[in-house]
Amino acid sequence: MNRYQFEDLISEYVENELSLSKRKEFEAYLEEKPDAMELVESVRANMAQMKIIPRMKVSADFNDRLLAKIQTDHARLHRPTPSQRTFFGFTPVHASLMTGLVIAFVFVSMQLFSPEESGLPTQTKIYAEDIVPSLSNPTLQNVNPRAPDLVEAEEDSSLEDNKNKPQKDFSKQMHFVND
Amino acid sequence: MSLDKHKAPFVYTDEQLIARFQAGDERAYIELVNRYRDRLINFVFQFLGDREQSEDVVQDTMLKLFEKKHYYREIAKFSTWIYTIARNLANTELRKRKRRKTTLLSHMTRDERDYELPAIQPETGQEVQSEFAEKLIQAAIHALPEHFKTVIILRDIQELSYDDISSIVGVPLGTVKSRINRARLQLQAELKGLR
Repeated sequence: MNRYQFEDLISEYVENELSLSKRKEFEAYLEEKPDAMELVESVRANMAQMKIIPRMKVSADFNDRLLAKIQTDHARLHRPTPSQRTFFGFTPVHASLMTGLVIAFVFVSMQLFSPEESGLPTQTKIYAEDIVPSLSNPTLQNVNPRAPDLVEAEEDSSLEDNKNKPQKDFSKQMHFVND
Repeated sequence: MSLDKHKAPFVYTDEQLIARFQAGDERAYIELVNRYRDRLINFVFQFLGDREQSEDVVQDTMLKLFEKKHYYREIAKFSTWIYTIARNLANTELRKRKRRKTTLLSHMTRDERDYELPAIQPETGQEVQSEFAEKLIQAAIHALPEHFKTVIILRDIQELSYDDISSIVGVPLGTVKSRINRARLQLQAELKGLR
């Protein structure tokens, strides 16, 4: 046995974990080397001294302080953070998106089912105004290529034509069934 | 829940207690706290060397046990699990302390330094001698490298089995045995130098 092998086995020897053959070999080395025996005794003494180091105890109020800490931490952990707050089960972001979607849905529904009552110009109205230009609509006045005077004159002449037409009397042509 | 009032005479193992606690029995938690609080403060104190800080770390360990009880699985012993939590928290505290030390070293007073040996002579009396020897050992332990320190504390002060130590530090059994042996030799050399 050399020095390295001896040092590797010190703990096992002190703790009585060496096999019989190894133990005999180890003790033979100890008999040869007095400093080796001194080292083993020193290690043994240190181990014994470590075992008798006075054991420390926690302070008397340890459990009370622990309980207070648990309660504080428990309350802190269970308080919802701003990101954890919910509105009817939705996070603030999802709640905002959901609200927007609901408003959009209501608006579209109103437009589909009662376009006249909405008070806002619809695509249908604009289309109607486009194909039947009206002078009352200032935006459409420029659309008419004819001058306003000409339009008025045309209207007047059509009225005249109506006046000049002879009024037909159909009263004599009417016969009752019983007659 | 009151921690001191419920001192029911439990005869359960640690694993049974944690199972009961996981099922909602807070008395089981109290029993676990009472079983481990002193063991853990002795363990943590060897790393930090400050009683108040060690107690805070043990409190945090127990708090973690309360909050993370469902993380425990019965594939490991409860003792290895709780020691691992305490060790990790102690290491975190040590890292914080190292960061503080790098910035505040010049402002530190003599009292704030860890494991300052007492300015007394060993021949002043039996009690004082014993106290001096204890301080010497703690100073020697503190001087050990981290991987040696943990295993020697767990083996020679906490008196845990090699298997448990292997689970706590997460290294193979052979490595644990080797580290403990080398730690004892280094401790012997440190103490020789201090005496």
